[in-house]
Formats: sequence, C-alpha cells, structure tokens
Amino acid sequence: MLRRKFNLKISISFLLITVLSIPAFAQGWDVPEAQKSKNSNVVFDAGATKEGESVFTKNCVSCHGNPGKGNFMKTLTPPPPDLAGDKTHNLTDGELFYILNTGRGVMPSFKNILSETDRWKAIAFIRSFHKGYVQVVSKTDPEKSKLVKINVSFDEKSNKVTVDVKANEKTGVVALKETEVSLFAKRRFGNLQIEKSGRTDANGVISFNFPKELPGDKEGNVELIVKISNEAYGEVESQSKMKLGIPTDVPSLTKERSMFNVMKKAPWWILITYFSGISIVIGFFIYMLLNLKKLFDLGKK
Amino acid sequence: MLDHSKADKITSDLLRSIRMNKSFVVWMGILGISLVICLYAYTIQLREGLGVTGLRDYVSWGMYIANFVFFVAASLIGMLISAVLGLSGQKWITPITRIAEIIALAFAAVAGLVIVSDMGHPERLLNVFMYGRIQSPIIWDVTVVTVYVLLSTLYLFIPLIPDLKICHDKIDNITPLQSKIYKLLSLNWKGTAEQVALVRKMIRAISIFIIPVAFGIHTVTSWLFASTLRVGWDSTIFGPYFVTGAFVTGCAGVIIAMYFYRFNYKLGDYLTDFHFDKMAKLLVLVSLVYLYFNLNEYMVPGYKMKKFDALHIHDLFVGNHALLFWAVQLGGLVIPIILLLFKKMRTPKPMLFIAIAVFIGAWFKRYIIVVPTMEHPFLPIQNVPLNFKIYTPTLTEVLINFAPFVLVLLIITILSKVVPIIPVQETIEEFEETHK
Ligand code: HEC
Repeated sequence: MLRRKFNLKISISFLLITVLSIPAFAQGWDVPEAQKSKNSNVVFDAGATKEGESVFTKNCVSCHGNPGKGNFMKTLTPPPPDLAGDKTHNLTDGELFYILNTGRGVMPSFKNILSETDRWKAIAFIRSFHKGYVQVVSKTDPEKSKLVKINVSFDEKSNKVTVDVKANEKTGVVALKETEVSLFAKRRFGNLQIEKSGRTDANGVISFNFPKELPGDKEGNVELIVKISNEAYGEVESQSKMKLGIPTDVPSLTKERSMFNVMKKAPWWILITYFSGISIVIGFFIYMLLNLKKLFDLGKK
Repeated sequence: MLDHSKADKITSDLLRSIRMNKSFVVWMGILGISLVICLYAYTIQLREGLGVTGLRDYVSWGMYIANFVFFVAASLIGMLISAVLGLSGQKWITPITRIAEIIALAFAAVAGLVIVSDMGHPERLLNVFMYGRIQSPIIWDVTVVTVYVLLSTLYLFIPLIPDLKICHDKIDNITPLQSKIYKLLSLNWKGTAEQVALVRKMIRAISIFIIPVAFGIHTVTSWLFASTLRVGWDSTIFGPYFVTGAFVTGCAGVIIAMYFYRFNYKLGDYLTDFHFDKMAKLLVLVSLVYLYFNLNEYMVPGYKMKKFDALHIHDLFVGNHALLFWAVQLGGLVIPIILLLFKKMRTPKPMLFIAIAVFIGAWFKRYIIVVPTMEHPFLPIQNVPLNFKIYTPTLTEVLINFAPFVLVLLIITILSKVVPIIPVQETIEEFEETHK
C-alpha cells in the first residue's frame, strides 16, 4: 500500500514537472516581496566564495555546469541556466536565496539539504561571476540566532512531539510566534521529515504527530532534528535524542562472513578452496623442479 | 642402418628453419613497426585517460574485454591437443603438439597485458593485490591465468629438452653464446634410459595437471560474466560454453599456423594432408559441440522471452547487432562445419580460408558476448549523450587492441626461430617404432 502511494506521488510529480516546466520556461521567478529584499549575513568575501565553490561543485555543477562555461545539462526541460548569465545577475540576493530554498520543477529545493550559510556561500560563488555586483549585507544581527532556545518534548499518550521556540532576549524570554518549524527523524541514509513544516502559534509552540511504528536503535532512541526559520532570528537547527521509536537491533550487514563482505570476512569454504588450490599448484611446481634437478644430476653421471 | 640416415634427414629437415634469413628480418621489422604504432596509441591513452576509447559509463567493458576473452580462449588449445588427445593415445598429434604449445604460451602470456591496457593506468593492477577480494572471480582469474602461463612454459620446455641437446649438437651456423644456451637448457641430456623415463613421467604429470587448470582458466573467465546479473550473461552454461568456444578458436589458430609452417618451412613431409584432415575433423567436432551450446544459450531465453532478455535477443537477432551476430554464427560456425564435411575441403588451402573465417568469427563472437549486454542495463539509460548509449570503439582503442596480436606473432616468430617447431626426438622415435 505504502509503495503504491509512493509511486503515485512520483508519477504525479513527474506529470506536474512536465506540464509545469514548459510554461515555466518562459516564466520569471515569482518571489514574494518580503523574500526579495532579504540579504545575506554572510559577507561575500574571498573565503566565502572559495567555500561556496566547493558547495557548488558538489551540488550544482551536475546540472548547471561551471558558470560562464555553458556546459550545463542541455537535455533537461527547462535547461538549467548558466548562472553567470545576465538573467541570474539581475535577480536579487533574496530571489536567489528563495530559488535555492524552494526550487521549481527539476531544480531541487536545497532548504533541507544545505545549511543556511552554505546556501549563501553558494550564492557568493555565483555572484563572483557577476561583474559590477556590489553586496548589500543584511542589517539583521547574525548574533541574534544564538539567543534562540528550542525545546523538544514528547508526549507518549498522544504520540505527539512538541517544539517550543523561545528567545532569551535581555528583556526576558520571548516566544517566537509565526516561526517556520520542520521536524526530521535521522535515518540511515538521510533525514525523514515528520509531517509538513508548520508555523508556531502565539506561544511559539507547534506539535507534530509522530508515527507509531518508526524503528529506533536498540533502546528505541531516535535522533530528532528541528529546523526553525524566523524573519528576525534567522535559521537555527537543534538535535536531540529521544525514546520514541520501536527498539530494533539490526546487526550490521558486514558482521558475518559472507560473499559480499571484505576479504578478511570471506566465507571459510572459499578461503579453504582457494588456498588449497594454491598449495596444490605450488606443490606441483616444486615437484617438477625437483624432477628437473634430478634429470640434470642423472646427466652428470 | 638405413634408419640412421633417415633419422639424420629428419633432424636436418626439422632444424633447417633455425637460422637467420632475410624474410625473418623483414617480418620482424614489420612486426616491430606495428608494435611501435600500437604503443604510440597506448601512450595517448596513458596521457589522456580512458576517455580516448569508446568506453563510457554504461559500456565500460568493450573491445578490451572481448579481446582478453579471445586471448584466453586461443590459449586453451595447448591443453586440448597435447594433454587431452595425447593422454588418449592419439599418435597423429606428434608434429602438432609444439605448435599448439607455442600458440598456447604466446596467447596466455599476452592475455594479462590486454587487461592491463583496459585499466587505463597500469599501476592499478596493484589494487588487485592490495584490495582484491577472494570472493570475486577477478582474483581467481588473475591467479589461474598466471598459473596457466607458468604451466604452459613448463609444458613447452620439458618435451623440448632432448631437442635442445640436438640443437646444440647439430646446428653449426650459430653463435657460441646461442650454442651455450642450448647446452645449458638441455640440462645435461644424454638420452639415457633413466632420463627418458623421467621426462616421460614429467610430461605425463603435467599433461594431467594442465587439464583442470586450463578448464579453470576459461571457466573462471566465463564466470566474470556469469556471476553478474546481466541479460545475456546470467547463464548456467557459460563455463562449458566458453571452454568449447575456446577449442574452436584454438583449432582454427593451429590450422593457420600449420599451413604457414608447412609452406614456409617446407615441412610437407611432416605436416601432411593426413594431419590437416585430422585437424579439420577435430575442428568440426568442437564446432558442433559449440554450436550445441549456442543453441542452448539463445534458444532457452529466446523461448521464454523475459522482458529484458527479449530486448537483448531482439537486438542480436534483428536489431543493431544482427548483422554481426549472424555473420559470426553462420560464417564463423555453421558454414565452416558444413564445408568441412566435404573431403575436398579438408585439404590445406581451403582449410586455411575456413580457419581464418572461424578465427575472425571467434573474435567477433567475444565482442557479441560483451558489448550488447553492456548496452542493455536493467535501469533505463537517461540523460546521456548518444555515445554513452551506443558503443563505438575509437581508432586509438583498436590500435591498442591490435598490440597483443603483434606481441603474440613476435613471440611465436622468435620461438619458432630458436626451437624446432616439430619435436625432433619424438618424430625420430616414432619413425623407428613404425619401421621396426
Ligand atoms: C537537478 C538539476 C539541478 C540542480 C542539481 C541544481 N539546479 Fe538550479 N536550476 C535547475 C533548473 C532546471 C533550473 C530552471 C528552473 C526553471 O526555470 O523552472 C534551475 C534554476 C536555477 C536558478 C535560477 C536561475 C535563473 O537565472 O533563472 C538558480 C539561481 C539556481 N538554479 C541555482 C542553483 C544552485 C545554487 C544549485 C546548487 C546548490 C542548483 N541550482 C542545483 C536545475 C538544477
């Protein structure tokens, strides 16, 4: 059942991608005003540009190619623009940031993949190709994010995870209302988002229904990741470990001897077969060499 | 005493080829120049990387691997002729054994190099020893190929001991150094009863031992394919299929060599029409077995037509690779079998052409086994340029693949200039036995 739903989702999104992407090609980016004017706390200096390059190489080059080189993946619809181009140049920092956060069609959303600083650094790298660009650094205080306190609690009865977001201002503790909160459970190959992202209420609180059947570690612990994003305080992430999964003891796949394991853990039978084969071969060659020696000695007489 | 003069004639006939002459120098010159050209192509690959070949992500095994399989295949003939037929008491093979062993040694020795050229950087070979896993057929392949090369060397050398002594005694137009080497390698051979018995014993031991190793070398090579879950390779009969295919290749190789030796070395009295007739029959026999395996290999999946098998088989039978496929199956297998059923065809000249067709067919057969499967992965190929989907070898790659052939010819040429290519001692013995 689960798989069906999953497939359906994929098919629908593919359908949407194909249907939407064609008109989207000609479309500009519809970025909300508030986002448009957003600026970076990260200063786009040589250091940020350099780190941004490595972020870009890992995450973006496969589609966009190297800026200015025109080696983007031309088979995609719409084709990913060469980011050194004028079109990108004319977008504001806020727009670029928004595009990275939300994505569109084939362009993935990087909000939950890259940290906020890394996203800005990638933009710093893109900007290094735009002649005449001058950065306007954000007036918001980056130190403010350090004041944020995220409190995560779990209620077993209702199976709800509650996130409480506060800030320790000098004037006292303030609840961060209208703050976007996303909850993830850490899995072996990535983070599983729990429900959809939501916004905190007037008390800075939001609850998520936690699935009952999620496997945890041996004790049932699951690592939770909470990401919040607030206009004034920026993005903050917190991690915590809680007993809210089903205790599961999955032995490591590479613990036992097996065909797919490393050589040291090869099955006995194959080790024995191989090395007895080798010994027989070596034995045979020694036997032949001894015989050749004997032949040589016979001729001396 | 009439026998004695006959023995002398045999000796001088068979040793006649061991001397420098103009055609040898010219031929070596041609081979040398070809080798330099091929090596130049290889330096391009070393400098620029494997991107200069037609190999890409999907078709990562191409001409190199096909070539490797071919070389391993051609090397199996030494075992078939000397060991299997020898142990079963076939007398007619005597003048052919050394030719078969020289071919075996040359092809086996070079096979490893083909793989090294496929690695791009040759030092990557060390990774096999540093990180190899015994669970992978690759380690077994490296092991068994090495063992086979060593065994083939012994198998060539031991029956050669009496002949080396004869070379030392009877050839006079050679340098003292060469003479000394003959002496050294003949290991004090005096031809005493004890020595004869010991050499017979050793030959027998190696004949027996080389059979499982030779089966091993090609079975393991086939498992490089069969142990992966790919259409066209995922088969239980790949071992015997490859081994019999190897016999076909090797027989054709031996026939070509026999023809060449018979006419260039004037050995018509030793490599007679009778021997050609026998080899033709052997070729028909192994080809029929191989044809039978082919029938199994394509008939069984072809009847069921599982989704991906169907794609593959369509491609071979009527699609992109159809022309090559049918040319190989008909021209390299079916037609030769039919032709060789006629007595007239089992004479040297027609056999030469048939053997060449079989030999070339055998090479392309390996290509047909390797490439189409690589072009049909289970996961769809997406968003890649056309040359990722369809493999076309580049000129550089073809030249690099040509190098091993040149090397094989070099080895065979040199060996047949320093040792009698028909066993002298054995031929004399056999003559004496039959004329008692
Ligand atoms: C899977 C391919 C893919 C990857 C990976 C990708 N993008 Fe994109 N990107 C696209 C496509 C396709 C578009 C055009 C989308 C549209 O117009 O609907 C695009 C558009 C953009 C735009 C808008 C450019 C303009 O001028 O309109 C920016 C900026 C951008 N990407 C930045 C990035 C950055 C930075 C990364 C890496 C962190 C990245 N992209 C990774 C495919 C990709």
